[in-house]
Amino acid sequence: MRIFLKNPLALSGLIIILTILILALVAPIIAPYDPNFIDINSILFPPSINHLMGTDGLGRDVFSRMLYGAQISLLVGFVAVGIATFIGVILGSLAGFYRGWVDSLIMRFVDIMLSIPTFFLILAVIAFLTPSIWNIMIVIGLTSWMGVTRLVRAEFFSLRQREYVLASETMGSNHFSIITKHLLPNSLTPIIVSSVLGIASAVLVESGLSFLGLGVQAPTASWGNILTDGKEYIQFAWWLSLFPGLAILITVLGYNLLGEGLRDILDPKNKN
Amino acid sequence: MLIGISLVSFFIMHLAPGDVTSTEASFNPRASEESRQKLRELYNLDKPVIIQYGLWLKRIVQLDFGNSFASHQKPVLWEQKDKSGNITKGLIQESLPITLMINLIGICIIFSISIFLGTLSAIRQNSWVDRSITLLVFIGFAIPGFWLALLLMYWTGVSNQWLPISGLHSLGYQNLSNFGQFIDLLKHLILPVSISSLSGLAGISLYVRNGMLDILHQDFITTARSKGLKETKIVFIHALKNAILPLITIVGLSIPGLIGGSVIAESIFAIPGMGKLFYDSVLMRDFPVIMGILTIGSFLTLIGNLLADIGYAWADPRVRKGLVK
Repeated sequence: MRIFLKNPLALSGLIIILTILILALVAPIIAPYDPNFIDINSILFPPSINHLMGTDGLGRDVFSRMLYGAQISLLVGFVAVGIATFIGVILGSLAGFYRGWVDSLIMRFVDIMLSIPTFFLILAVIAFLTPSIWNIMIVIGLTSWMGVTRLVRAEFFSLRQREYVLASETMGSNHFSIITKHLLPNSLTPIIVSSVLGIASAVLVESGLSFLGLGVQAPTASWGNILTDGKEYIQFAWWLSLFPGLAILITVLGYNLLGEGLRDILDPKNKN
Repeated sequence: MLIGISLVSFFIMHLAPGDVTSTEASFNPRASEESRQKLRELYNLDKPVIIQYGLWLKRIVQLDFGNSFASHQKPVLWEQKDKSGNITKGLIQESLPITLMINLIGICIIFSISIFLGTLSAIRQNSWVDRSITLLVFIGFAIPGFWLALLLMYWTGVSNQWLPISGLHSLGYQNLSNFGQFIDLLKHLILPVSISSLSGLAGISLYVRNGMLDILHQDFITTARSKGLKETKIVFIHALKNAILPLITIVGLSIPGLIGGSVIAESIFAIPGMGKLFYDSVLMRDFPVIMGILTIGSFLTLIGNLLADIGYAWADPRVRKGLVK
């Protein structure tokens, strides 16, 4: 924990993320209104003591919706990146450990995935499926594992030649235990850093999709679809656009700061 | 290289029809029975996958992407003549140049600004200039483009009415002089181009900064310094040349991101480019257009990568003479 204190980047990122996490977790307790409660007597109220962030076109309390939207953002980020990291670690391990045709096959697949515009691919798959929060998490996960694969593979390439790995292999350890006991633990740093940065981009992609109406579906609140409403009322209700955008900005900034900070902290070159 | 490219595109084409066949059962109920039947006939869904693939590939090689289900059944890729000699323009043919124009202008802007910012940041390392540029870069990474687009739209278009907020041309565009038309187009392009170049701007500034820092610590720069060369000459001629070389590769790699990003920018500003076409097709479940754009998009990426490789070899004498891989 003390190393975090020495690194202002990581510290500020951590504080931002923890704050949002806590707000999302206690949303049911601290939210002043039901996020989906429609009140036709309070349509498009500007921010006030009663409605901290105003109300939307259906009279719903924006602050409550923002709190529940934080849950969606965090969930999508973690699950999508969890899927991506899982696939990336497995494929990267296979490619880096076995090399040869396994490696060529996996890397060609990575090249193909990288040459298809990702956002198009996500939209296309969403067109075939129905847009829902689970589909979105899966699709974002399935289209963002290529970076982790490359990282793990590169780490394995350099680790495989180390004496302790060779020693373990000579002593007859099976491949699975060499990978899980020796290679993976030593390649954790780049995996963690890229996962944290990955969450940032997953949050951005989710909000973009929801903004386009192809993400989280109404009435479930997400920062992206609050912004879609904001677009409708941009001439009369600035608060509908300002707050969700700021929330996305701060969250993504938090993950990026944390990721870059972790890179500095965990990099052995910076130990001194 | 060419073998690699053809192999990759071969597989991409395999991926695209895979989507249709694998989700055949889960077609959205919104698609009418008529269009489902059309789709089945079009892709021969009753036949085995390999044969479907062969048939699809055969049509793609002939650049036949079929006709759109919606949009008055316009051809997807290129213009077609009907029996009475009327020419219907292809959807991609109409929209691709617009997207390309926006992204090319975007790339030029990204480069000129980010090379400047990155270099400035590197030569003043750890000063307040460097810190504020780094802060801007972080914000640029984190800011959702569509949000900024909304705010800019509101600020410049609605409350101040400085700039038009949607489309490519004003009403009465045809009546303007050539110069007037140019200015009108330019005004419509300012917002979309700045939104779509934002994240690239942040990334490349950071890249130039780190590259510059690396190079400024290398031996040949020390040599140049000890020779007594002026600092400006060292930075702008010796160091910058080396720092911007890798950017050629970055352009190639950033093409899928740029094309993908055009979806949001174009839908917000109602610009009839490929991104908006794609978005509309997704909403209408217009499969031939979706698959056509996916294929063309990937193809563009491959061409971009190829051009980047060639460009790199051409610009870097070490690669050209085969000294380094």
